[in-house]
Amino acid sequence: MTATIDFARRFARNRAALAGFALLLVVIAFAITAPWLFPRPPLRIVGRPEVWPFLSWRFPLGTDSLGRDIAAMVAHGARTTLLIGLFASLTATLIGVTIGATAAYFGGWVDEALMRFTELFQTIPNLIFVLTIVLILGQKIAYITLAVGIVTWTPIARLTRAEFLTLRDREFVQACRSMGMGDVRIMLREILPNALPPVIVLASLVVAGAILFESAVSFLGLGDPDVSSWGRLIGDGRTLIRTSWYICAVPGIAIMLTVLALNLIGDGLNDALNPKLRDR
Amino acid sequence: MAPLLEIDRLSVSLFTRAGVLPAVDGLSLRVDAGETVAIVGESGCGKSLSALAVMRLLPEPPARIVGGAVRLAGRDLVTLSEGAMRRVRGKEVSMIFQDPMTSLNPVVPIGAQLIEAIRQHNPISHRAAQARAVALLEKVRIPDAARRLDDYPHQLSGGMSQRVMIAMAIACEPKVLIADEPTTALDVTIQAQILKLMQELQAASNMAVVIITHDLGVVAETADRVAVMYAGRKVEEAPVEALFERPLHPYTRGLLGATPSPARFGGRLADIAGTVPSLAELPAGCAFAQRCPLAFERCRLERPALSAPLPHRLAACFATEKEFSRDGAPVGS
Repeated sequence: MTATIDFARRFARNRAALAGFALLLVVIAFAITAPWLFPRPPLRIVGRPEVWPFLSWRFPLGTDSLGRDIAAMVAHGARTTLLIGLFASLTATLIGVTIGATAAYFGGWVDEALMRFTELFQTIPNLIFVLTIVLILGQKIAYITLAVGIVTWTPIARLTRAEFLTLRDREFVQACRSMGMGDVRIMLREILPNALPPVIVLASLVVAGAILFESAVSFLGLGDPDVSSWGRLIGDGRTLIRTSWYICAVPGIAIMLTVLALNLIGDGLNDALNPKLRDR
Repeated sequence: MAPLLEIDRLSVSLFTRAGVLPAVDGLSLRVDAGETVAIVGESGCGKSLSALAVMRLLPEPPARIVGGAVRLAGRDLVTLSEGAMRRVRGKEVSMIFQDPMTSLNPVVPIGAQLIEAIRQHNPISHRAAQARAVALLEKVRIPDAARRLDDYPHQLSGGMSQRVMIAMAIACEPKVLIADEPTTALDVTIQAQILKLMQELQAASNMAVVIITHDLGVVAETADRVAVMYAGRKVEEAPVEALFERPLHPYTRGLLGATPSPARFGGRLADIAGTVPSLAELPAGCAFAQRCPLAFERCRLERPALSAPLPHRLAACFATEKEFSRDGAPVGS
């Protein structure tokens, strides 16, 4: 309990992180309340096309080239975008931690093989890799999430490996072995909690990266056609960028603010979790 | 009767780029239940590696057991599978390490660590394990034990941490406790308390204790029998009083002479001339010959084997052998 309060205090000391956290809360609030705020399906045509923002009470953020409500699409898009970001980051963390931890803990040829495997993934251009996976698996939100997870795990694996390498030979690990603990148990229960803080920080940044990836995929028209997302909105609006630039700008600003918020939170987590900065 | 723990011609080598180094060379030692045996020697003499070899926890690579056996109640541990060995660790043989501050997981409360240790070999409920954890902390004299369970290691002093480590080591009532420099990181008053605690626990449970140290004070206080190691080999073994009264090996004599004592206060600190030869350049003869005041021709050519110049005593030294054969004392066992 006191540990949680302590953590919150250290996090709050970073004002920018606090602002980022507030911003993210707003986005999350919109994502959660979208079905009540905008009960109609967001992709339905509801009015005249190309109504500019702040001109009509019915369409506070205007309508796009087909006459769809941009506010509704942004609010519903927030759900997609956040969920993809979160689950892609979880996938990446799961893969990255498993590979990094196994490589460092067992060392030798296991380490060698897994690290070469990681490097292989690192050398493939990320966006092209994501597009390839989406094209092979299909344009479904779950597959896009998986694809983003598959291309973003490498830095997490390398970080986890580095952490495990320093922790593996510590005396408390030796002490656990001398009590008869097994490898998996030592990795999960003893070493992982020590290695986790920097990994959490990186994972929060991966969420931001995943959102950008999803936007790029949707922008290129390879997103899930049944789901509204911010990247898709920008993609749809790009033909009208000279006349009705707000169609791109509104979701663009949403992406920018969310990614900024996540980066600020990452910094704050780093301050709060980094043991070297503690108690200053 | 067979001894509880019998180390039989155990050899450990380090496989390095510079070649294969014999870090422990044919070490034999027996420890009975309820007995405390000390292994003494300076850094790098192979005493810690021997302990890790018994636990089968050698850092592999580079270290590996290359020969010999470690028999626990007649069962050879060297040939056990890793799975079977895991059931031995903690339950039959446990170990405490030098630095208690780093031997506890810094992010886990001590209670949780103790419970983990208890449940490792006992299929009991979390609640029952928690009660046992409190009892263990009381056993190692930690005041207010129940409230201490939620403390993190950094909230404990060094002495407290070592008590917790001891509690964890005896959690599953092992038959043998190996203590690798258990008091080196503690200050002298705490050191005495910890040693006393270990003796009490041993008396209550009839554990065999192997204590590894370079501190002859610790040896005098705790051990029944002492094995002195030099450059990977046992050079002398004796009951503790006999060793302090009449050390047979010149290296042991040097060690005892180098111990500072208030009686010689003000004088120059005695030391043993020269340094320990590197394992890569061990001489053909006795490893101590270069530093030995009694060394003669044979010592440089031939490696002395252990002989028993007096009852219950072993020494590996030609000079000692010569002395006792001249005295007419029996040579060989």
